[in-house]
Amino acid sequence: MVPSARTPLRTDRLRAVNEPRAVTVELNESGRMTVGRPDGQTVGQVEAILESWRIDDEWWRQTIARAYMEVMLQGGKRMVLFQDLITGQWFAQMP
Amino acid sequence: MTVSQAIGLCSALRLIEPDPVHYDERFTNLLSALNEVSPVVEPAELGLVYLGTDGLEGIFGAPEKIVEAIRRTVGRSDGQTVRLGFGRGKFVAWVAASRSKPNAAVIVPVGGEKAFLAAQPISVLPLDCDPHRRLRQLGIRTLGALTAIPEAAITAQFGAVGRRLWRLAAGRIAEPVEGRIAPEPIVVALTFFTPVGERELLVHSLDQLIGRALKHPRRIGWRVHAVRLRADLEGATNGGGSWLAAIQLKDPTADGERIAAPLKTRLEQAPPTGAVERLILEFTAFAPGTTELQLFARDAQAAARAGQQRALQSAAREIRMRVQRSSLYHIIEVQPWSRLPERRYALIDYEP
Repeated sequence: MVPSARTPLRTDRLRAVNEPRAVTVELNESGRMTVGRPDGQTVGQVEAILESWRIDDEWWRQTIARAYMEVMLQGGKRMVLFQDLITGQWFAQMP
Repeated sequence: MTVSQAIGLCSALRLIEPDPVHYDERFTNLLSALNEVSPVVEPAELGLVYLGTDGLEGIFGAPEKIVEAIRRTVGRSDGQTVRLGFGRGKFVAWVAASRSKPNAAVIVPVGGEKAFLAAQPISVLPLDCDPHRRLRQLGIRTLGALTAIPEAAITAQFGAVGRRLWRLAAGRIAEPVEGRIAPEPIVVALTFFTPVGERELLVHSLDQLIGRALKHPRRIGWRVHAVRLRADLEGATNGGGSWLAAIQLKDPTADGERIAAPLKTRLEQAPPTGAVERLILEFTAFAPGTTELQLFARDAQAAARAGQQRALQSAAREIRMRVQRSSLYHIIEVQPWSRLPERRYALIDYEP
Protein backbone atom coordinates (compact mmCIF):
# COMPACT_ATOMS: atom_id res chain seq x y z
CA MET A 1 0.00 0.00 0.00
CA VAL A 2 1.34 3.41 -0.91
CA PRO A 3 1.60 5.67 2.17
CA SER A 4 -0.22 8.98 2.04
CA ALA A 5 2.06 11.77 0.86
CA ARG A 6 0.16 14.34 2.87
CA THR A 7 1.54 15.55 6.15
CA PRO A 8 -0.66 14.25 9.00
CA LEU A 9 -2.82 16.97 10.49
CA ARG A 10 -1.77 17.95 14.00
CA THR A 11 -4.89 19.06 15.78
CA ASP A 12 -2.84 20.68 18.58
CA ARG A 13 -1.68 23.28 16.04
CA LEU A 14 -5.18 24.26 15.00
CA ARG A 15 -6.43 27.72 15.92
CA ALA A 16 -10.09 28.54 15.82
CA VAL A 17 -11.34 31.10 13.33
CA ASN A 18 -14.35 33.30 13.83
CA GLU A 19 -14.85 32.57 17.49
CA PRO A 20 -17.67 34.55 19.13
CA ARG A 21 -16.47 37.75 20.79
CA ALA A 22 -18.24 38.74 23.98
CA VAL A 23 -20.17 42.02 23.80
CA THR A 24 -22.61 43.81 26.03
CA VAL A 25 -26.07 44.78 24.87
CA GLU A 26 -28.07 47.28 26.86
CA LEU A 27 -31.50 48.76 26.34
CA ASN A 28 -31.98 52.44 27.05
CA GLU A 29 -35.16 54.15 28.23
CA SER A 30 -36.54 54.42 24.72
CA GLY A 31 -36.00 50.68 24.14
CA ARG A 32 -33.00 51.09 21.84
CA MET A 33 -30.12 48.62 21.98
CA THR A 34 -26.58 49.81 22.54
CA VAL A 35 -23.72 47.43 21.79
CA GLY A 36 -20.56 47.71 23.85
CA ARG A 37 -17.30 45.94 24.54
CA PRO A 38 -16.67 44.11 27.81
CA ASP A 39 -14.20 46.90 28.77
CA GLY A 40 -17.09 49.37 28.74
CA GLN A 41 -16.33 51.01 25.39
CA THR A 42 -19.39 51.65 23.23
CA VAL A 43 -19.47 50.05 19.79
CA GLY A 44 -22.66 51.76 18.66
CA GLN A 45 -26.37 52.15 18.96
CA VAL A 46 -28.53 49.75 16.99
CA GLU A 47 -30.45 51.54 14.28
CA ALA A 48 -32.31 48.58 12.83
CA ILE A 49 -32.57 44.81 13.09
CA LEU A 50 -32.20 43.54 9.55
CA GLU A 51 -32.66 39.83 10.07
CA SER A 52 -32.97 37.33 12.88
CA TRP A 53 -32.65 33.56 13.07
CA ARG A 54 -32.14 30.86 15.66
CA ILE A 55 -29.76 27.94 15.93
CA ASP A 56 -30.45 24.95 18.16
CA ASP A 57 -27.84 22.24 17.97
CA GLU A 58 -26.00 19.47 19.77
CA TRP A 59 -28.91 18.64 22.02
CA TRP A 60 -27.35 15.20 22.38
CA ARG A 61 -24.36 16.49 24.37
CA GLN A 62 -24.22 20.13 25.52
CA THR A 63 -27.17 21.97 24.12
CA ILE A 64 -26.43 25.01 22.02
CA ALA A 65 -29.21 27.53 21.58
CA ARG A 66 -28.49 30.91 20.01
CA ALA A 67 -30.71 33.74 18.85
CA TYR A 68 -28.86 35.54 16.05
CA MET A 69 -29.66 38.95 14.65
CA GLU A 70 -28.03 41.03 11.98
CA VAL A 71 -28.18 44.65 13.03
CA MET A 72 -27.30 47.99 11.50
CA LEU A 73 -25.60 50.43 13.84
CA GLN A 74 -25.79 54.19 13.67
CA GLY A 75 -23.50 55.22 10.85
CA GLY A 76 -24.40 52.22 8.72
CA LYS A 77 -22.06 49.59 10.14
CA ARG A 78 -23.51 46.09 10.04
CA MET A 79 -22.91 43.52 12.72
CA VAL A 80 -24.12 40.04 13.59
CA LEU A 81 -24.96 39.51 17.26
CA PHE A 82 -26.30 36.52 19.07
CA GLN A 83 -27.57 35.81 22.52
CA ASP A 84 -26.65 32.51 24.10
CA LEU A 85 -30.09 31.39 25.21
CA ILE A 86 -28.62 29.07 27.86
CA THR A 87 -26.45 31.63 29.66
CA GLY A 88 -28.06 34.87 28.45
CA GLN A 89 -24.69 36.29 27.34
CA TRP A 90 -24.31 38.33 24.15
CA PHE A 91 -21.68 37.79 21.47
CA ALA A 92 -20.68 39.23 18.12
CA GLN A 93 -19.69 36.91 15.30
CA MET A 94 -19.32 36.89 11.55
CA PRO A 95 -22.17 34.86 10.06
CA MET B 1 37.74 61.98 -24.84
CA THR B 2 39.28 59.05 -26.65
CA VAL B 3 41.82 56.70 -25.03
CA SER B 4 44.61 58.05 -27.22
CA GLN B 5 43.74 61.62 -26.20
CA ALA B 6 43.76 60.59 -22.54
CA ILE B 7 47.17 58.89 -22.90
CA GLY B 8 48.44 61.98 -24.69
CA LEU B 9 47.42 64.12 -21.74
CA CYS B 10 48.65 61.70 -19.09
CA SER B 11 51.49 59.40 -20.02
CA ALA B 12 51.33 57.58 -16.68
CA LEU B 13 47.71 56.67 -17.31
CA ARG B 14 46.92 53.09 -16.38
CA LEU B 15 44.21 51.49 -18.45
CA ILE B 16 42.02 48.86 -16.84
CA GLU B 17 40.03 46.52 -19.04
CA PRO B 18 36.32 46.69 -18.34
CA ASP B 19 34.82 43.61 -16.75
CA PRO B 20 31.08 43.89 -17.44
CA VAL B 21 30.38 40.37 -16.19
CA HIS B 22 31.96 41.20 -12.85
CA TYR B 23 29.96 44.44 -12.59
CA ASP B 24 26.83 42.58 -13.49
CA GLU B 25 27.44 39.85 -10.93
CA ARG B 26 28.11 42.37 -8.18
CA PHE B 27 24.95 44.21 -9.07
CA THR B 28 22.94 40.99 -9.13
CA ASN B 29 24.34 40.14 -5.68
CA LEU B 30 23.29 43.57 -4.47
CA LEU B 31 19.75 43.08 -5.79
CA SER B 32 19.43 39.67 -4.13
CA ALA B 33 20.68 41.11 -0.85
CA LEU B 34 18.18 43.95 -1.02
CA ASN B 35 15.42 41.46 -1.67
CA GLU B 36 15.99 40.23 1.87
CA VAL B 37 14.96 43.64 3.18
CA SER B 38 12.08 44.43 0.82
CA PRO B 39 10.32 42.50 -1.91
CA VAL B 40 9.96 45.70 -3.95
CA VAL B 41 13.30 46.24 -5.67
CA GLU B 42 13.64 48.30 -8.83
CA PRO B 43 17.02 48.28 -10.53
CA ALA B 44 17.26 51.57 -12.43
CA GLU B 45 20.74 51.21 -13.90
CA LEU B 46 24.00 49.54 -13.01
CA GLY B 47 24.72 50.75 -9.50
CA LEU B 48 21.39 52.47 -8.87
CA VAL B 49 18.54 50.67 -7.15
CA TYR B 50 15.27 51.87 -5.68
CA LEU B 51 13.76 49.98 -2.79
CA GLY B 52 10.10 50.20 -1.83
CA THR B 53 9.82 50.60 1.93
CA ASP B 54 6.06 50.86 2.39
CA GLY B 55 5.07 48.69 5.32
CA LEU B 56 8.65 48.08 6.48
CA GLU B 57 8.11 50.32 9.54
CA GLY B 58 6.16 47.42 11.03
CA ILE B 59 9.25 45.21 10.82
CA PHE B 60 12.16 47.58 11.33
CA GLY B 61 10.69 50.75 12.80
CA ALA B 62 11.62 54.34 11.91
CA PRO B 63 13.33 55.27 8.60
CA GLU B 64 16.71 55.32 10.39
CA LYS B 65 16.23 51.67 11.34
CA ILE B 66 15.14 50.73 7.83
CA VAL B 67 18.22 52.43 6.39
CA GLU B 68 20.37 50.65 8.96
CA ALA B 69 18.85 47.30 7.96
CA ILE B 70 19.62 48.04 4.30
CA ARG B 71 23.19 49.04 5.11
CA ARG B 72 23.71 45.95 7.26
CA THR B 73 22.30 43.63 4.60
CA VAL B 74 24.31 45.13 1.77
CA GLY B 75 27.48 45.16 3.86
CA ARG B 76 26.98 41.53 4.80
CA SER B 77 26.36 40.48 1.20
CA ASP B 78 29.70 41.62 -0.18
CA GLY B 79 30.93 44.61 1.70
CA GLN B 80 30.10 47.13 -1.00
CA THR B 81 30.25 50.84 -0.36
CA VAL B 82 26.82 52.34 -0.81
CA ARG B 83 25.27 55.76 -0.57
CA LEU B 84 21.75 55.67 0.77
CA GLY B 85 18.95 58.15 0.43
CA PHE B 86 15.53 57.87 2.02
CA GLY B 87 12.60 59.97 0.91
CA ARG B 88 9.12 60.02 -0.51
CA GLY B 89 9.30 59.11 -4.19
CA LYS B 90 12.22 58.05 -6.33
CA PHE B 91 13.52 61.51 -7.22
CA VAL B 92 13.82 62.73 -3.64
CA ALA B 93 15.44 59.44 -2.60
CA TRP B 94 17.92 59.65 -5.47
CA VAL B 95 18.89 63.25 -4.72
CA ALA B 96 19.27 62.32 -1.04
CA ALA B 97 21.51 59.36 -1.94
CA SER B 98 23.62 61.48 -4.26
CA ARG B 99 24.18 63.93 -1.37
CA SER B 100 25.15 61.30 1.19
CA LYS B 101 28.68 60.27 2.07
CA PRO B 102 29.90 56.73 1.30
CA ASN B 103 28.24 54.23 3.62
CA ALA B 104 26.08 56.96 5.09
CA ALA B 105 22.51 58.00 4.47
CA VAL B 106 20.52 61.17 4.01
CA ILE B 107 16.95 60.87 5.24
CA VAL B 108 14.38 63.37 4.02
CA PRO B 109 11.38 63.41 6.36
CA VAL B 110 7.89 63.29 4.89
CA GLY B 111 6.77 66.89 4.32
CA GLY B 112 10.36 68.12 4.21
CA GLU B 113 10.86 67.37 0.50
CA LYS B 114 10.45 70.95 -0.73
CA ALA B 115 12.84 72.39 1.81
CA PHE B 116 15.42 69.69 1.10
CA LEU B 117 15.20 70.06 -2.66
CA ALA B 118 15.29 73.87 -2.61
CA ALA B 119 19.01 73.93 -1.79
CA GLN B 120 19.98 71.38 -4.45
CA PRO B 121 21.61 72.43 -7.73
CA ILE B 122 19.60 72.11 -10.94
CA SER B 123 22.10 69.51 -12.15
CA VAL B 124 20.18 66.91 -10.11
CA LEU B 125 17.24 67.25 -12.48
CA PRO B 126 17.03 64.78 -15.36
CA LEU B 127 17.80 67.46 -17.95
CA ASP B 128 19.15 67.51 -21.46
CA CYS B 129 21.98 69.96 -22.20
CA ASP B 130 19.79 72.59 -23.83
CA PRO B 131 17.24 73.23 -21.07
CA HIS B 132 20.09 73.06 -18.55
CA ARG B 133 21.98 75.76 -20.42
CA ARG B 134 18.85 77.89 -20.76
CA LEU B 135 18.08 77.61 -17.06
CA ARG B 136 21.61 78.73 -16.21
CA GLN B 137 21.30 81.64 -18.64
CA LEU B 138 18.17 82.66 -16.77
CA GLY B 139 20.26 82.67 -13.59
CA ILE B 140 18.53 79.65 -12.10
CA ARG B 141 21.09 77.64 -10.18
CA THR B 142 19.04 75.78 -7.59
CA LEU B 143 15.76 73.95 -7.46
CA GLY B 144 14.55 76.56 -4.98
CA ALA B 145 15.20 79.28 -7.56
CA LEU B 146 13.32 77.23 -10.12
CA THR B 147 10.26 76.76 -7.93
CA ALA B 148 10.27 80.46 -7.03
CA ILE B 149 9.15 81.03 -10.62
CA PRO B 150 5.48 80.20 -11.21
CA GLU B 151 4.86 76.76 -12.67
CA ALA B 152 2.92 78.28 -15.57
CA ALA B 153 5.90 80.45 -16.57
CA ILE B 154 8.25 77.46 -16.67
CA THR B 155 5.67 75.46 -18.61
CA ALA B 156 5.34 78.31 -21.10
CA GLN B 157 9.12 78.36 -21.62
CA PHE B 158 9.93 74.65 -21.59
CA GLY B 159 6.61 72.93 -22.33
CA ALA B 160 5.58 69.64 -20.74
CA VAL B 161 9.20 68.82 -19.85
CA GLY B 162 9.49 72.08 -17.93
CA ARG B 163 6.27 71.39 -16.06
CA ARG B 164 7.54 67.98 -14.99
CA LEU B 165 10.88 69.46 -13.92
CA TRP B 166 9.16 72.18 -11.92
CA ARG B 167 6.98 69.61 -10.18
CA LEU B 168 9.97 67.37 -9.45
CA ALA B 169 11.85 70.36 -8.02
CA ALA B 170 8.87 71.28 -5.86
CA GLY B 171 8.62 67.74 -4.51
CA ARG B 172 5.15 67.40 -6.02
CA ILE B 173 5.97 64.23 -7.95
CA ALA B 174 6.53 61.12 -5.87
CA GLU B 175 7.07 58.30 -8.32
CA PRO B 176 6.52 54.96 -6.63
CA VAL B 177 9.06 52.15 -6.77
CA GLU B 178 8.02 49.44 -9.17
CA GLY B 179 9.24 46.04 -8.15
CA ARG B 180 10.56 43.81 -10.86
CA ILE B 181 9.28 40.32 -11.47
CA ALA B 182 12.31 38.22 -10.80
CA PRO B 183 12.33 35.45 -13.38
CA GLU B 184 14.26 32.32 -12.80
CA PRO B 185 16.79 32.52 -15.60
CA ILE B 186 17.76 29.52 -17.68
CA VAL B 187 21.54 29.24 -17.75
CA VAL B 188 23.58 26.97 -19.98
CA ALA B 189 27.35 27.03 -20.32
CA LEU B 190 30.12 25.53 -22.38
CA THR B 191 33.72 25.27 -21.18
CA PHE B 192 36.34 24.92 -23.90
CA PHE B 193 39.30 22.56 -23.45
CA THR B 194 41.54 25.20 -24.94
CA PRO B 195 40.62 28.90 -25.15
CA VAL B 196 38.84 29.72 -28.39
CA GLY B 197 39.39 32.84 -30.44
CA GLU B 198 37.83 31.87 -33.79
CA ARG B 199 34.55 33.60 -34.33
CA GLU B 200 33.09 30.70 -36.34
CA LEU B 201 33.65 28.32 -33.47
CA LEU B 202 32.07 30.75 -31.03
CA VAL B 203 29.06 31.15 -33.30
CA HIS B 204 28.73 27.38 -33.57
CA SER B 205 28.95 27.06 -29.78
CA LEU B 206 26.33 29.79 -29.42
CA ASP B 207 23.93 27.82 -31.64
CA GLN B 208 24.49 24.75 -29.49
CA LEU B 209 23.86 26.68 -26.28
CA ILE B 210 20.67 28.23 -27.63
CA GLY B 211 19.42 24.78 -28.66
CA ARG B 212 20.12 23.44 -25.17
CA ALA B 213 18.50 26.38 -23.42
CA LEU B 214 15.39 26.19 -25.61
CA LYS B 215 14.95 22.53 -24.65
CA HIS B 216 14.94 23.41 -20.96
CA PRO B 217 11.61 22.31 -19.39
CA ARG B 218 11.13 25.71 -17.77
CA ARG B 219 11.19 27.36 -21.19
CA ILE B 220 8.38 25.26 -22.68
CA GLY B 221 5.34 27.42 -23.26
CA TRP B 222 7.32 30.64 -22.94
CA ARG B 223 8.99 32.86 -25.47
CA VAL B 224 12.37 34.36 -24.72
CA HIS B 225 12.38 38.11 -24.18
CA ALA B 226 15.85 38.90 -22.86
CA VAL B 227 19.06 37.03 -23.36
CA ARG B 228 22.63 37.48 -22.19
CA LEU B 229 25.77 35.93 -23.57
CA ARG B 230 28.78 36.02 -21.30
CA ALA B 231 32.33 34.93 -21.96
CA ASP B 232 35.13 34.32 -19.49
CA LEU B 233 38.28 35.29 -21.29
CA GLU B 234 41.60 33.51 -21.08
CA GLY B 235 43.12 33.92 -17.63
CA ALA B 236 39.76 34.95 -16.16
CA THR B 237 40.56 33.06 -12.96
CA ASN B 238 43.67 35.20 -12.57
CA GLY B 239 41.85 38.48 -13.02
CA GLY B 240 41.53 38.32 -16.82
CA GLY B 241 38.71 40.11 -18.55
CA SER B 242 35.24 39.12 -19.54
CA TRP B 243 32.79 39.90 -22.28
CA LEU B 244 29.06 40.44 -22.14
CA ALA B 245 26.27 40.97 -24.62
CA ALA B 246 22.81 41.65 -23.21
CA ILE B 247 19.98 41.72 -25.71
CA GLN B 248 16.34 42.63 -25.22
CA LEU B 249 14.46 41.02 -28.09
CA LYS B 250 12.00 43.33 -29.75
CA ASP B 251 9.55 40.50 -30.27
CA PRO B 252 9.76 37.63 -27.81
CA THR B 253 10.46 34.42 -29.64
CA ALA B 254 11.14 30.73 -29.20
CA ASP B 255 12.95 30.54 -32.51
CA GLY B 256 16.63 29.74 -32.09
CA GLU B 257 17.76 31.65 -35.16
CA ARG B 258 15.95 34.82 -34.15
CA ILE B 259 17.48 34.63 -30.69
CA ALA B 260 20.94 34.00 -32.16
CA ALA B 261 20.85 36.76 -34.80
CA PRO B 262 21.48 39.82 -32.55
CA LEU B 263 24.07 37.91 -30.52
CA LYS B 264 25.93 36.92 -33.69
CA THR B 265 25.85 40.54 -34.84
CA ARG B 266 27.33 41.56 -31.50
CA LEU B 267 30.00 38.85 -31.81
CA GLU B 268 30.85 40.23 -35.23
CA GLN B 269 30.81 43.93 -34.37
CA ALA B 270 32.30 43.86 -30.88
CA PRO B 271 33.95 40.47 -30.40
CA PRO B 272 35.60 39.39 -27.13
CA THR B 273 39.00 41.00 -26.70
CA GLY B 274 40.70 37.70 -25.94
CA ALA B 275 40.34 33.95 -26.33
CA VAL B 276 37.24 32.54 -24.66
CA GLU B 277 37.56 29.91 -21.95
CA ARG B 278 33.89 29.58 -21.10
CA LEU B 279 30.73 30.71 -22.85
CA ILE B 280 27.55 31.18 -20.83
CA LEU B 281 24.10 31.83 -22.23
CA GLU B 282 21.22 33.07 -20.06
CA PHE B 283 17.57 33.52 -20.89
CA THR B 284 16.67 36.16 -18.31
CA ALA B 285 13.13 37.26 -19.21
CA PHE B 286 10.22 35.52 -20.80
CA ALA B 287 6.85 36.30 -22.33
CA PRO B 288 3.98 33.83 -22.32
CA GLY B 289 3.73 31.70 -25.45
CA THR B 290 0.63 31.29 -27.57
CA THR B 291 -2.44 29.58 -26.11
CA GLU B 292 -1.52 26.35 -27.89
CA LEU B 293 1.96 26.44 -26.43
CA GLN B 294 0.56 27.10 -22.99
CA LEU B 295 -1.61 24.00 -23.25
CA PHE B 296 1.54 21.93 -23.58
CA ALA B 297 3.41 23.86 -20.94
CA ARG B 298 2.53 21.85 -17.87
CA ASP B 299 6.17 21.09 -17.26
CA ALA B 300 7.00 24.76 -17.41
CA GLN B 301 4.18 25.62 -15.06
CA ALA B 302 5.26 22.91 -12.65
CA ALA B 303 8.75 24.33 -12.67
CA ALA B 304 7.39 27.82 -12.15
CA ARG B 305 5.32 26.54 -9.22
CA ALA B 306 8.45 24.95 -7.80
CA GLY B 307 10.12 28.36 -8.08
CA GLN B 308 7.19 30.03 -6.31
CA GLN B 309 7.31 27.36 -3.62
CA ARG B 310 11.00 28.08 -3.03
CA ALA B 311 10.25 31.80 -2.81
CA LEU B 312 7.42 31.13 -0.34
CA GLN B 313 9.64 28.92 1.80
CA SER B 314 12.29 31.58 1.89
CA ALA B 315 9.76 34.32 2.80
CA ALA B 316 8.19 32.17 5.54
CA ARG B 317 11.64 31.40 6.98
CA GLU B 318 12.46 35.09 6.96
CA ILE B 319 9.26 36.06 8.77
CA ARG B 320 9.71 33.29 11.35
CA MET B 321 13.25 34.50 11.98
CA ARG B 322 12.18 38.13 12.39
CA VAL B 323 9.17 37.69 14.62
CA GLN B 324 10.58 34.65 16.44
CA ARG B 325 7.42 32.63 15.93
CA SER B 326 5.34 31.25 13.16
CA SER B 327 2.89 33.95 12.15
CA LEU B 328 1.75 32.53 8.85
CA TYR B 329 -1.34 30.39 8.78
CA HIS B 330 -3.58 28.93 6.24
CA ILE B 331 -7.26 28.24 6.59
CA ILE B 332 -8.45 24.66 6.49
CA GLU B 333 -11.97 23.35 6.42
CA VAL B 334 -12.96 21.54 9.59
CA GLN B 335 -16.74 21.20 9.50
CA PRO B 336 -17.78 23.40 6.57
CA TRP B 337 -21.34 22.13 6.88
CA SER B 338 -21.69 23.17 10.54
CA ARG B 339 -24.41 25.65 11.44
CA LEU B 340 -22.05 27.10 14.07
CA PRO B 341 -19.75 29.55 12.25
CA GLU B 342 -16.74 28.91 14.55
CA ARG B 343 -16.76 25.20 13.75
CA ARG B 344 -16.43 25.56 10.00
CA TYR B 345 -12.80 26.59 9.54
CA ALA B 346 -9.57 26.68 11.50
CA LEU B 347 -6.10 28.17 11.15
CA ILE B 348 -3.04 25.99 10.99
CA ASP B 349 0.64 26.98 10.90
CA TYR B 350 1.71 27.56 7.34
CA GLU B 351 4.88 25.75 6.47
CA PRO B 352 5.39 25.89 2.72
